[in-house]
Amino acid sequence: MTTSFNAGTLLAPGTWIEGKWHHRRYRVERLLGKGANGAVYLVRWGRSMEQAALKIGYDAVDLQSEINVLTSLAAHQTKRERRMLQSASRPFLLDVDDCVLGQIEVQFYVMKFVEGCTLQQYMDRQGLEWLGLIGYRLLQKLTELHHADWVFGDLKPENILVSEFGHVELVDYGGVSRIGRSVKQFTERYDRGYWNAGSRSADPGYDFFAFAVLWLHVVDGARLRRLSTEQLPQTRQPSDLMALVRTNVKLKPFESWFKQALHGYFTSSDDACAAWHQLAIQNGRRTLSPPVKGTTPGWLKGVFIASIVLLGSTLYFMLQS
Amino acid sequence: MKQILLITDGCSNVGVSPIVAAANAREEGITVNVVGVVDQGAIGELGAAEIAQIARAGGGMDRIVQSHQLSHTIQMMTRKTVVQTIQHAVNRELRQILHSDANSIEDLPPEQRSQVVQVMDELTETSELKVALLIDASASMKPKLQAVEEAIRDLMLSLQAREGKSEIAVFHFPGRASDETVMDLDWTQDLSNVRSMFQRMQMRGATPTGPAIFKVIEFYQYDKMKGSDPALRNRPETDGMLGDYVV
Ligand SMILES: Nc1ncnc2c1ncn2[C@@H]1O[C@H](COP(=O)(O)OP(=O)(O)O)[C@@H](O)[C@H]1O
Ligand SMILES: [Mg+2]
Repeated sequence: MTTSFNAGTLLAPGTWIEGKWHHRRYRVERLLGKGANGAVYLVRWGRSMEQAALKIGYDAVDLQSEINVLTSLAAHQTKRERRMLQSASRPFLLDVDDCVLGQIEVQFYVMKFVEGCTLQQYMDRQGLEWLGLIGYRLLQKLTELHHADWVFGDLKPENILVSEFGHVELVDYGGVSRIGRSVKQFTERYDRGYWNAGSRSADPGYDFFAFAVLWLHVVDGARLRRLSTEQLPQTRQPSDLMALVRTNVKLKPFESWFKQALHGYFTSSDDACAAWHQLAIQNGRRTLSPPVKGTTPGWLKGVFIASIVLLGSTLYFMLQS
Repeated sequence: MKQILLITDGCSNVGVSPIVAAANAREEGITVNVVGVVDQGAIGELGAAEIAQIARAGGGMDRIVQSHQLSHTIQMMTRKTVVQTIQHAVNRELRQILHSDANSIEDLPPEQRSQVVQVMDELTETSELKVALLIDASASMKPKLQAVEEAIRDLMLSLQAREGKSEIAVFHFPGRASDETVMDLDWTQDLSNVRSMFQRMQMRGATPTGPAIFKVIEFYQYDKMKGSDPALRNRPETDGMLGDYVV
């Protein structure tokens, strides 16, 4: 162990972490990921060396705030829900403690290890046909939160893990906020305020907006990136996002859903969830991809013309030589 | 809670030292945060050092960022400062209210810490907040003002979502005379007021950062005389809430 440890230092595999209050010992296997609030490690613990995920926080208060949300969520789960979830036998939150690493004291919590890869990786490997099901399951998770009076807030690909056959799990509860309060943590690209589409108050619609941009990011990342960088901040608007949806073959079948999400028309989470479900089933039953009509937004035409010119000149030179 | 957010791109060169000014603000219970904006090249060693020193003297944070990171940065800074201000207040009160021998929140056992942080989260959301933005409008800042205006609008959007009363005021310097600081926007909670503030602004060379900070301190004082000082009213409330929540 080094003496110059800080929360950003990478812990070597084999390092032992022992809690100061509860005295449980964890052995680090490897880093699972890092974010703005902490680093998450795969660890083993107990007599049978079970797997778990251990998050070391960069800031005691931020981490505790996240822990409070997890505790409150666990208390809200009914017995039935707990039986239904695959996490039935164990709660998501397993331990909360402090330990000394190097010279400094750090705070950590231990949770269920969620298998799987990020949403982006899953879609890249398994294909976009999983969109309907994964989206539906994600909406179910969000709806569950909404019914418990919370909004997820910081919905983005890094905070969604997908395992075999499209099972999803939300990780990172740092942005989870009480309905009616301000959204604690968000990422610009998925933020309703950033797109001039509404407030930063936590309401279910905030999550649905982020959900919509999330899929644009996963399915049509390059065009979304261009849209968010090429526009002036004050001219960003949800209808530009809609233009992307309408001109994307994979998202087009969900157009009506995206429209309601991006413009904030959904009045209940159950409705939003049911509407997506319906579209996902309908879309799967179709044997032909729907034709995509070109209502190209103005700025895209420019891009298109530019690429045509480029194509033209490339071909010209190719044919010359 | 009172904050000054200074947005600048270089060194001060007229009047009293901004570090002295920031220390004075701190004394008045105003936290000073500083953002340096650089788009091309570096801010220079001197500029960076000054920015760091102003923030240290003012009990706040400093960041050096590019224009496109400005919205995110000031949003994050403002929120973090609120949390830290509350955290300092809580740390001061731990012994008295909780009869604990802990010196900081980190020393508390997990169960108590959980309860204290719950109270802190509550205060983070509900306490009154005033942020005075102080914009360096010397000639070199001109190309960045569009981004500054956008960042102010974005900050207002975040503040509006809070439950507690949140207001901003906007100042720039220098004004017509090189030692003048101009108020662009008086305390407001209204997003629609944050529009084309800087359009008719004349950009000048001098950078009297220190005097400008003093001007804002004065503005806060005037505010207090009108009897709307949130810090004075918040204290007993903090005590009461901690007492209520944590037993
Ligand atoms: N329970 C878990 N199981 C497996 N991987 C996890 C788990 N929690 C987090 N991760 C991984 O660690 C990364 C960072 O964790 P996260 O909680 O999102 O940190 P931050 O709050 O700092 O963003 C995640 O993106 C994810 O890949
Ligand atoms: Mg994360």
